[in-house]
Amino acid sequence: MKVTIQSKTGIAEFEADGSSNLLYEGLKRGLGLPYECATGTCGTCRARVMDGNVSLAWDDAPGLAYVKRAKNEVLLCQAHVHGDCVVRVPAKVEPLPEAALPADFTGRIDAVRRLTHDVIHFEVQLDRAMSFAAGQFAALSCEDVTGARAYSMVNHANSTDRLAFVVKRKLGGKFSDWLFETDVNGRTLKLLGPLGRATFRPEEGKNFVCIAGGSGVAGMMAIAQHATRNGYLDTHTGHIFFGVRTMEDCFYTAEFADQVKKAKGNLEVTIALSNEEPPQPTHPDHPEINLASGFVHEVAARQMAGRYDNMVGFVAGPPPMVDGALRMLIMEARLPAEFIRYDKFG
Amino acid sequence: MSWKKVCKATDVAPNTLKKFWIDGGIPIVIANYGSGFAAIPPMCPHMEEPLEISGVISNCVLTCTKHLWAWNLATLEQHGTETEKDIKSYQCKEENGDILALVEEEIVYEFDDEDDMDDDSFFAKS
Repeated sequence: MKVTIQSKTGIAEFEADGSSNLLYEGLKRGLGLPYECATGTCGTCRARVMDGNVSLAWDDAPGLAYVKRAKNEVLLCQAHVHGDCVVRVPAKVEPLPEAALPADFTGRIDAVRRLTHDVIHFEVQLDRAMSFAAGQFAALSCEDVTGARAYSMVNHANSTDRLAFVVKRKLGGKFSDWLFETDVNGRTLKLLGPLGRATFRPEEGKNFVCIAGGSGVAGMMAIAQHATRNGYLDTHTGHIFFGVRTMEDCFYTAEFADQVKKAKGNLEVTIALSNEEPPQPTHPDHPEINLASGFVHEVAARQMAGRYDNMVGFVAGPPPMVDGALRMLIMEARLPAEFIRYDKFG
Repeated sequence: MSWKKVCKATDVAPNTLKKFWIDGGIPIVIANYGSGFAAIPPMCPHMEEPLEISGVISNCVLTCTKHLWAWNLATLEQHGTETEKDIKSYQCKEENGDILALVEEEIVYEFDDEDDMDDDSFFAKS
């Protein structure tokens, strides 16, 4: 099936095999179609079907609020083709670098563990190695739940057949219900990855500040792992602010403490508690980790004041936290847009 | 076309934005960027975010915090790497402590019928 994409950078064509949606089919073939969440939420991959038969996989995708259905608009991440088609994309569509192309993987879940009452960690053994950058995510789907979900990799290696993920339970979230209520050890997942542009790029030579809430810390852990592994933090500094409600909601403290030790003084990790005062200034079990009271972006603003030299910022978490952190990075850190990285899922 | 009073200069603190309605219904956002004022339609040209809420001003630059589109308010030029559309504005001046805007009719972005997506000639080029 021939897919013709009309874009602001001209016309591109690819041959689709109908195995997945138009976004994934295009990305896999090296076409840099616009996207952020890749899973039906954000509306970034809005497109108009000019010719051909295209159906939507998930008719209730929240991102469809951004499309004009009367004008035959769709979300590429939900659009399946049934024959040749012509689709108009209101964005620049450049070829993707060969090394970064996402691909389909199959994986088996193992090492499932509950980290807190509403946070779960699991790992996936892939059928082959994936290369990805710290901060990237994959779209995961299982047989029992309709639609794919985007989760950032918690771990990082240049190429690995093991991925780690962390998921916070979301009320009514079908995928998180499945993870929390089923024995998912040994279950099969389909994955498309790597995805996402909010990546750690060591070649930029920047100090970094990460502000994360809840399971948004996944990508920050991957960044910490990458930065401590290759001596990056011998010559740069990293600052990670991790927001949770109470001490009982903390997780990955041992893992972060380990990264702090490896960084020999150039990585600071602070857990911000929004709903209680910390018992002491450092974590009782892991004194390498600082504790503070307040919303995570406010804690970060207090501690980072005057220390934004040569900085790149990473943000992930629930929408109000992301908004607060972005304001802080623009207004106080005065970082330009290209050095503020977050997945624009909202 | 005529100059309409929108608000007092002191109504909008430096580096903030505030929404007003003039002529019984035209919404207009006044942005105080420190060295001057800008009068703009209330929504981001990207995805219609309400700029009086989503916008922040630092160093003369208005940034929509939703997706980091940004513009220099003094020159109205696009700013940064994310921005893809120009911001529109009303002519604006400060007179005797009042902020006035030159308003003929409401400025709106062409999200609907005159959408980019409708421009066949644009998309035909390869």
